[in-house]
Amino acid sequence: MKNILRRLSNPMYIMIYATVGIFLAIYAAGAAAYGDRGFLTLRTFVNMFIDNAYYGISAVGMTMVLITGGIDLSVGAVASLTGMFIAYGTAILHLHPAVCILAALVMGVGLGLLMGWVIEYLNVPPFITTLTGMFLARGVCSLISRESINIQHSMIDALAGWKIYFMHTVNGKWVKVKPIAFINFNVILFIVMIIIGTYILQRTRFGRNIYAVGGNEQSARLMGLPVARTKILVYGFNGLCSVLAGISYALYVKSGWNLSLQGAELDVITCAVIGGTLLTGGVGSMIGTLFGVLLKSIIPALITFNGHLLSWWGKIATGALLLMFICIQRIVVSYSGRKRAE
Amino acid sequence: MNNNILEMKQIEIQFPGVKALDKVDFSLKAGEVHSLLGENGAGKSTLIKCLTGVNKMDAGAIILDGQEIRPQDPGHAMTLGISTVFQEVNLCPNLSVAENIFVGRQPMKYHQINWREINRRAEELLSGFGLKIDVTRPLSYYSTAIQQMVSIARAVDVKAKILILDEPTSSLDTGEVQLLFRVMRELKAEGMGIIFITHFLDQVYEISDRMTILRNGHLVGTYGISELSRVELVTMMIGKDFSQMFELERAEASPDANIALEAEHLGVPGKVEDFSLKIREGELVGFAGLLGSGRTETAEMLFGAVPSSRGSMKLEGHDVKINTPGDALNNRMAFCPEDRKRDGIISDLSIRENIILALQARRGFMKPLTRAEQQELADRYIKLLGIATPDAEKKIGELSGGNQQKVILARWMATQPAILILDEPTRGIDIGAKAEIQKLMLQMCEEGSSVIFISSELDEIIRCSGTVVVMRDRKKVAELAGSECTQQKILEIIAGAA
Amino acid sequence: MKNSKILGAVMAEVLLLLVCLVIRPDFFSISYQPTTGMLYGNIIDILNRSSEITIIAMGMTLIIALGGTDLSVGALVAVSGAVALKLLRWDVLEYNTPGDYTVCNFFWVLVLPLVVCTLMGLFNGFLVAKGGMQPIIATLILMVCGRGVAQILTDGKQFTTGYAPFKVIGQGSFLWLPVPIIITVIVVAFMAWFTRRTAFGTFVEAVGINRSASRLSGINAAMIIFIAFAVTGLLSGVSGLIYSSRIMSNDSNNAGLNYEMDAILAVVIGGTSMTGGKFSLAGTVVGSILIRTIVTLVYYFGIVSEATMAFKALIIAVVIVLQSEPVRNYLSKRRAKKS
Repeated sequence: MKNILRRLSNPMYIMIYATVGIFLAIYAAGAAAYGDRGFLTLRTFVNMFIDNAYYGISAVGMTMVLITGGIDLSVGAVASLTGMFIAYGTAILHLHPAVCILAALVMGVGLGLLMGWVIEYLNVPPFITTLTGMFLARGVCSLISRESINIQHSMIDALAGWKIYFMHTVNGKWVKVKPIAFINFNVILFIVMIIIGTYILQRTRFGRNIYAVGGNEQSARLMGLPVARTKILVYGFNGLCSVLAGISYALYVKSGWNLSLQGAELDVITCAVIGGTLLTGGVGSMIGTLFGVLLKSIIPALITFNGHLLSWWGKIATGALLLMFICIQRIVVSYSGRKRAE
Repeated sequence: MNNNILEMKQIEIQFPGVKALDKVDFSLKAGEVHSLLGENGAGKSTLIKCLTGVNKMDAGAIILDGQEIRPQDPGHAMTLGISTVFQEVNLCPNLSVAENIFVGRQPMKYHQINWREINRRAEELLSGFGLKIDVTRPLSYYSTAIQQMVSIARAVDVKAKILILDEPTSSLDTGEVQLLFRVMRELKAEGMGIIFITHFLDQVYEISDRMTILRNGHLVGTYGISELSRVELVTMMIGKDFSQMFELERAEASPDANIALEAEHLGVPGKVEDFSLKIREGELVGFAGLLGSGRTETAEMLFGAVPSSRGSMKLEGHDVKINTPGDALNNRMAFCPEDRKRDGIISDLSIRENIILALQARRGFMKPLTRAEQQELADRYIKLLGIATPDAEKKIGELSGGNQQKVILARWMATQPAILILDEPTRGIDIGAKAEIQKLMLQMCEEGSSVIFISSELDEIIRCSGTVVVMRDRKKVAELAGSECTQQKILEIIAGAA
Repeated sequence: MKNSKILGAVMAEVLLLLVCLVIRPDFFSISYQPTTGMLYGNIIDILNRSSEITIIAMGMTLIIALGGTDLSVGALVAVSGAVALKLLRWDVLEYNTPGDYTVCNFFWVLVLPLVVCTLMGLFNGFLVAKGGMQPIIATLILMVCGRGVAQILTDGKQFTTGYAPFKVIGQGSFLWLPVPIIITVIVVAFMAWFTRRTAFGTFVEAVGINRSASRLSGINAAMIIFIAFAVTGLLSGVSGLIYSSRIMSNDSNNAGLNYEMDAILAVVIGGTSMTGGKFSLAGTVVGSILIRTIVTLVYYFGIVSEATMAFKALIIAVVIVLQSEPVRNYLSKRRAKKS
């Protein structure tokens, strides 16, 4: 018991506690204010996952990139391009969606690896490299089509319409819970990616090298760790996540559009940061990111329930959350710094 | 009788403008602790960096176990069997203690990292160092001393043939040092060769079998530990200069000169203890003492880089409070820092811009010196100090160390300071430039400035200073003037014999 | 030789225009329109349309030279427009009736947006210089909530105005040239004076290259950072006025969208390194014009107008790769071998 307590008091977890704590506090506040209007239902909770799954999937890769101390601005454009691949491929070229998805995967991972290579070997700052990558992906997207294309394919429809309903027993019979709540493919993909991300970060040498590179790149090199390989692979993996996010978004809106997901990269980064990831690198976790996504999605939910507040208060609240988290991080960092001086 | 596991022969390394190592020989036997001694800039670190592949040597050979090797980088050196604990802790502050020891070579189980095993082995390893700490906490949570121990633990656990410890004890307390020594003795008994770098002489005599002394990139000699007395050793490190130097007049102030600076009971917790000093106009005060004795910290305190938390300071009789370098600048103080690269030069700016920087900072940016004024100042000082450059527009980063130092000196001379603090202005530069800088300091004194001069070369301190302040263990332990300033006496005080 | 880093951008620009000259010389034709008293032509259009980015990039250059970035400039453009339109259409909020008159003095319509943006820049500067935060994350805060502030100011509405003096800022002409070009010239001239005729530029470079050494030389680094962010805020405000005057409206969602990216690109293409240090305002101007030239050219050649973004990315990629350290080292080594 004492052992568990000691382990839980590890300062490594402070940021996760902050994220989870603030999420619970806001959730409780929402429950207190709008509980009677159905805020507490399973449906409201599950909808936060459904509406933000694509952010979450992208945030898995982004968290890793940020932990290495890098940044990737191309994720929104790559996801948008993925949607365009699927839409154009199925609707215009009449290809099988699987072929389109495969092409998108090659594109996304390839671009990620290329950007990683440029960052590591040409010493171009990640910000500029991935910004160029964003322009490129957006540009190719516009080249393919400037109009929104609807996705119509039986497989996509099946995948998008596939739902698992929450059931409970009433008088010995299984019936759907009311109000109806379900999870879909996107939610499962999101959860699976979080689990995969956790596994990589916690259970593989590659994952630990990510932390080491972000903690102190110089030291990582002196310790003989494969810094270059780690950095390049991280951008490749993030490319994969962007493509999966793009698929998820395509299923969500069932169309491809060259201007979709504009600015999504910064929303994804925001999710990671309020999930406790440090932009200076070295600190971050998948659990934190999961709650970061939830925290970011609970704000619009609250505003909808309020009914009077206008949507832009969401932006301000998100900004305030960011400020709060950065301040917490500063305090945590200076706390551990002070500890060291003693 | 040749049981050397490592031999370094005729190592030469050339840095821009200065020969960092000149035909240095070094050897290490299996099962010995070999101390490497010398002041900063003597070439100890360069020799180590050469051995670990950080610096590439220009000539010479490294022979490990009878095989010639050419380490490419520290990772490569490690696979060759050379494990190093560098001076600055080079671990990842965000990873746990246990992980820092095992990252890159974690024990695996079912293709997964076996955290249980990592933590268990880390605990076991560290308890060998007498550390009973929670190894799952991040490294940054612990003191520098513990971090240092962790980095030693990592180096030891690799089971190398050679272990290099570069100033591992600077942040350890006595008990921790003893623990480290116990581990070192155990490793020695197992036949590992250990290269030990430190500036604590007691420790050298306690743990080493042999020692090699370097000075200005030259090998002074290798001796068995019983062959040299402590005073002889200090003499070799900082005593009489080998090169013949011309005579200099000491800058002693006349007794009726005004007091330029009066510091009373200044101090910075953990860095400088209770420091008082009076300097007269035109006086040159030398700070003697070994590395880590508090010389640099005192200088930084006087200049407000690390402001004093107590005591009072008077400049020309007026009370002043100096909390930032800006304050010091406005009170006509000047400071050439020890680490020229990190704290002195602005590498990408031209000589001209570097020279006018402090003067311009005092005027504020809205009152710029005109281009002509800048040019005039730069040209004047380039000529005055004999800075070797085609023109004032060359980047300072492209100059040799000596010339960079002169530019920094010019930066402060241009502000016409009342008090000039020079921290190791002559380190790592060639003999000729050294003499010129010494001459300049004395000239400044003649013109009425007061100079505080910090150096590891005792000879030049004695040669120039009217008063010598001797520092040891973050304290001023003696102040000698005039005929008291003899090499013998100062060495004795530094060595702690008095 | 001194400006070898801006050479990449200049060469790319010249090359683009040369290609253009060969294929379609009429691209360079400039005509005079007596009714508006303005010159028209592609070159004029490039200069005109690049002015918003050029103006912001002047401030961004300082911040990047200090080793930072400012992500909030695009949001500040929206804020500036919102404040201006709110003042111009005060009546709508009060009485909900349309009208083209202002309740406020026109002076305030020009000055208040700038004041608000400068204050927001100061907020950024405070977080960075005093709070010790990374610039990229400190400015992310205003980037995220700046547009929210703009919407709150205008109650989420998009106003339009027909107020003629306001129209001059973005659409008027002076000396036969569009007013935005004139404003840009004034801003560039002022910034050139401010950085090179005072010691501010040298201090920015010194702090960007070696903050520790600058501090020990007596420079107040925090103050320099503060000023750089405030100036960037102010210039974003100017840019916002031009933008909203062009559309005679406020658009909190789209005004200044992606301006931060374009401004940062302009600076980097112009040869200022993202790690800080030496900067070149001239390079930034060229960089900004280059970005706009690409867009205009693609539109002009019409055939592949969808390719704007991709084309832009390719040219930027080439310039940046050519400027990267390893490539430059390799090239200079080869040059040294030849001679």
